[in-house]
Amino acid sequence: MAQIKWLSDFEGAVSAAKAEKKPVLLDFFNPG
Amino acid sequence: MGAVTYPDAKVVEFVTSRMIPVQLLSDAKPYVTDFNIKWTPTIITLDDTGKEHHRVVGFLSPEEFIASLLLGIAKANFDLDRFEEALSDLDKLLFNYPKSKAAPEAIFIRGVCGYKSSHDPKPLKAAWEKLQAEYPTSEWTERAKPYSLLP
Repeated sequence: MAQIKWLSDFEGAVSAAKAEKKPVLLDFFNPG
Repeated sequence: MGAVTYPDAKVVEFVTSRMIPVQLLSDAKPYVTDFNIKWTPTIITLDDTGKEHHRVVGFLSPEEFIASLLLGIAKANFDLDRFEEALSDLDKLLFNYPKSKAAPEAIFIRGVCGYKSSHDPKPLKAAWEKLQAEYPTSEWTERAKPYSLLP
């Protein structure tokens, strides 16, 4: 089953967004 | 979100094709302070410079989640004066998720996009008419009420 490939590095996500010309989906979560 | 919405096939396809997804823990510094996070889940749409354009707090079903993301992307493009791109996603939202909670705001922003891209007030009045007809109790219908006076 396909899954969302979440990044865990905010700056890396923004860099990827700029490179791919996409917006960022930022999810603050509590695993527990 | 992790049990129901994020594993949904349509959600996976949408997020993978349209966005860069990043998850941060609810105590991740300095981001929790930077984004003023008080509860989880808090889901934010940012542009490619990291600027916030839309946020929701709490659980959303897969359909409501995709509709909210479409609205967030459209709001980012609207804020950046990219009205044609914004209109494209607002139309997708309203076609595919007309009963979603994001729909009334999408109609409102669609009207404003139409006005700002044409300087013709007709899209504003059309937005109010659609809101009044389809979502008469929405706060967005109230916000659009002055547009009813336009010629």
